[in-house]
Amino acid sequence: MAEISIKGSRRTEFGKGASRRARRDGFIPAVIYGHGEKPQHVALPSRELGVALKTSNVLIDVVLDDHTELTLPKSVSRDPLTGLLEHIDLVIVRRGERVVVSVPVHTEGKYDQDGILEHTNNSIEVEVDVTSIPAFLMLNMEGMMAGESKTASEVILPEGVKLISDPKMTVVHLSVKAAEVEEVAVVAVPAEGDAAAAAAATPAEGDAAAEGDDKKDKKSK
Amino acid sequence: MLIPRRVKHRKQHHPKRAGKSKGGTTVAFGDYGVQAMEPAYVTNRQIEAARIAMTRHIKRGGKVWINIYPDRPLTKKPAETRMGSGKGSPEWWIANVKPGRVMFEISGVTEAVASEAMTRAMHKLPMKCRIVRREEF
Repeated sequence: MAEISIKGSRRTEFGKGASRRARRDGFIPAVIYGHGEKPQHVALPSRELGVALKTSNVLIDVVLDDHTELTLPKSVSRDPLTGLLEHIDLVIVRRGERVVVSVPVHTEGKYDQDGILEHTNNSIEVEVDVTSIPAFLMLNMEGMMAGESKTASEVILPEGVKLISDPKMTVVHLSVKAAEVEEVAVVAVPAEGDAAAAAAATPAEGDAAAEGDDKKDKKSK
Repeated sequence: MLIPRRVKHRKQHHPKRAGKSKGGTTVAFGDYGVQAMEPAYVTNRQIEAARIAMTRHIKRGGKVWINIYPDRPLTKKPAETRMGSGKGSPEWWIANVKPGRVMFEISGVTEAVASEAMTRAMHKLPMKCRIVRREEF
């Protein structure tokens, strides 16, 4: 379990202007809450935080002027285009506490290559001690045939890890490859039917009103 | 071709193009995806063309997801018509795509095949796009 210490500073000014200034200076606005304590608004160095967040469910020791808070990332917002961090929510945790976290599932083993592997759920929720959160869980797919699925109950859980997600929840599914003939049938949809289909698709507002509009259009021609 | 079965109002205002996508910005179902880099109105014909380009390239392997839906009508007045006399008639169905949106996803093929298939799909789309892969956080 990764645990990283990051030195943060308390924020004194708020709002989008102050947040943008902080981001320009290389700091990410963050909020720390949990365990019934008042929310603390802090700024964390973006570079160190970005490196820390490369590991899933990383424990972050936020070092403030007067004390240190052991936290777990709760919500991370990034720019969808650049991927740069915009804001992070950190929840306070205590050593020895059990938390419910979402852990990614990796697969191993040889499966039927005629099937298409679909990751229906990339991660599952587990309850675990906060200092021993696994980086990933393993799912054995040895001998899996096309058309079969593996559920959350089949994921190998280390000692002290309890499954919270529905045990029947599908994690991976090996679907059967579609025949090539079907695709040709889909492609052969006539394009000229579009206008008629569009007209047929829009009678919900009232056909009479729609027809009236069309007549007006024709008159204007 | 994707067309809504029922709509509340058959003639709507043009959708807003400002801002970035608020959701659907990561690959959720497949292994690789096509992400929009610019705002654009994507018509149902363009979506269909992109889908066909991808499925024909990957042949019978792999699976394709379409994450956008053309639920907004755009109207057009006939050619050589004087102004006035009300709004034109519905002409296109479009999806209002904002930057960051993952529009198509693909899985079950190698990275090289997926990359080529998505490049072919990107040529059918009206905006700059890029290929993204599934990430773990």
